[in-house]
Amino acid sequence: LNAAPGRAPRQRVRFLPAPAPGGRGAVELVAARVPVLADHPLVRGPRFRKLKIGAGHRLDVKASGVFVLGIGHGNKLLTDLYNCHLTKVYTVGGLFGKATDDFSDTGNLVEKTTFDHITREKLERILAVIQGTNQKALLMYSNIDMKTQEAYELAVKGLIRPMGKCPPIITAVRCLQFALPEFQLEVHCLHETQQYLRKMVHEIGLELKSSAVCTQVRRIRDGVFTVDDALPRTRWNLQSIQEAIRNCQLKVETELEKTLG
Amino acid sequence: AMAGVVRRLLRRGLGVAAGPPNPRQLRETEEAAPVFQYAGKAARRKDRVFVWGFSYSGALGVPSFVRPDASWKKPRRIQPTPYRLETEEKISSAACGYGFTLLASNTRDITKVWGMGLNKDSQLGFQRSRRDQTKGYEYVLEPSPIPLPLEKPQQTQVLQVSCGRAHSLILTDSEGVFTMGNNSYGQCGRKVVEDEIYSGSHLIHQLKEFDSRVVQVVCGQDHSLFRTKKGTVYACGWGADGQTGLGHYNITSVPTKLHGDIAGVNIIQVSSYGDCCLAVSDEGDVFGWGNSEYLQLASVTETTQVNVPRHLPFKIGKVKEAACGGTGNVVLTEEGNVFVWGYGILGKGPNLIETAVPEMIPPSLFGRSDFSPDIRVAHVRCGLSQFAALTNRGELFVWGKNLRGCLGTGRMEDQYFPWKVTVPGEVVDVACGVDHMVSMVRSFT
Repeated sequence: LNAAPGRAPRQRVRFLPAPAPGGRGAVELVAARVPVLADHPLVRGPRFRKLKIGAGHRLDVKASGVFVLGIGHGNKLLTDLYNCHLTKVYTVGGLFGKATDDFSDTGNLVEKTTFDHITREKLERILAVIQGTNQKALLMYSNIDMKTQEAYELAVKGLIRPMGKCPPIITAVRCLQFALPEFQLEVHCLHETQQYLRKMVHEIGLELKSSAVCTQVRRIRDGVFTVDDALPRTRWNLQSIQEAIRNCQLKVETELEKTLG
Repeated sequence: AMAGVVRRLLRRGLGVAAGPPNPRQLRETEEAAPVFQYAGKAARRKDRVFVWGFSYSGALGVPSFVRPDASWKKPRRIQPTPYRLETEEKISSAACGYGFTLLASNTRDITKVWGMGLNKDSQLGFQRSRRDQTKGYEYVLEPSPIPLPLEKPQQTQVLQVSCGRAHSLILTDSEGVFTMGNNSYGQCGRKVVEDEIYSGSHLIHQLKEFDSRVVQVVCGQDHSLFRTKKGTVYACGWGADGQTGLGHYNITSVPTKLHGDIAGVNIIQVSSYGDCCLAVSDEGDVFGWGNSEYLQLASVTETTQVNVPRHLPFKIGKVKEAACGGTGNVVLTEEGNVFVWGYGILGKGPNLIETAVPEMIPPSLFGRSDFSPDIRVAHVRCGLSQFAALTNRGELFVWGKNLRGCLGTGRMEDQYFPWKVTVPGEVVDVACGVDHMVSMVRSFT
């Protein structure tokens, strides 16, 4: 970063003595633009000595996926994005037949159960119930008076979203794959933690009269940032980071304008 | 020598040092763990009944709400959320009247119908009081069997029940229709007897003379409608608002065939709860008659009472189902859209109070979105001032006036747009009354 060409040094108008036409030794002041010495790279030193990097929504040790970071001035945008309360999308993988104490497959075994009675239909029914109850929670925590016409119009458009503090809410769940004993869900949620998602998998197992553990939690979307925008480990260099920032700038700006006005 | 013995014991593994379990040990303990079975492969989904609303009339069928079994417990006037009601048989049909409920099962046993709630006009038949064997109960707090005078009690099946303000109708498959309750306007289909005392009456009237088998019975507030297999509609009862549709405003005490715009039309569904009636034909047309003070029929006429069935020319598509409430009506079209009109809280926010022309409720309120585009409303039902809609996913949405907690949302406020009721199961059918509701639910697994 420091090797990149920096800002051009500031210019200042100085009145410098210059030899005047006619007359030996007579000097007159001529205005000239002169670079300020204080801006000289040898005086100033390297432009960046440390960088301020802030993290967006938390991501577990056992989970993977999109992780948003803000650099320097981007940290202010991070707080704004947090206040937008946009949904995050996860792919959650689960396994029927086991129950562990920390709801993931690396924990201590608590119980083993049969799962041959589970069908995709039953799973989808449970998912529909989860969606329905969370829909109600969504409306309740958005702090709008249900009796107003405004509330009705927002509910029709589906724009009711809690803008303040609220417990984790799941806005949509869908079953992507189902192959006993494994299954994969796509979850759209707000204000959640990865452990909450693992607990949800455990509770789905309980509802289906069996047990389930979570094998994989992967965030595929965080607000406006998707997996396509994200940089894998092989591309963690200055070039790609700068390119990524440039690509996302427009998206972030439009989203902030739309939500916060 | 002692140390040597101890060391040999340790090596033999009797005193194994407990360190962090290595993966092989973990796997072995896992495999050795017992497997529990909570549900077998042939596990069936259970059928349940949930009730909610005003309980002091006994209509919910839970006696501990009215008369608590322990002295420190307080009586529960309103049940704001769905409460499970234990029934002996699987209930196939339920109906809510004005303060009472009927539950029917299609079993071949002798007891086919149970009733609970108000019984001041013997709308639940004669319930012999245990304290005085000659008198009957005026309030029935628990689902009590209703003895029907069947000729073949172990072969006949009850298909459907319906309840009005103070009378009820029970439809069987081979023995016609049984009517009980108040008959001061001839709504039970028999001649009006002056000064008849209905309380504690044993009389259950049987109606068999129709042009073909009756397939649907509907009770309005003080009138009864019968729909036969051929698609004709019969009516009897009070007619001062024209709700009998027979061309006059008098009482009818014998079920008489309706003409007007439905003559010759194959009607596939009839509905009524207050004083307005709607009928749906097999081609998707809607016909209405009865009270029109709340603009229910204002699209065809300015008069407030219509005593002949009139075709309602709505351009909303083919209608599949219709339901009438006290002041508002709702229809469901083939595409799964819900249209409301009339007066009151119609479901489109607090600004829409009355309309004579049907207005569609946006399907996004029932859960349809880009994420789940195949959600459709499957059935619509009406109470006196509430509406209920069932989706194909088994979700129940209610809206309207929340009279004594009858919406089941858990709140006491009126609901101006469809709101989902949290029921632990897939809702198969719902019956709406004045201040309570009954739903038939199947468990998830």
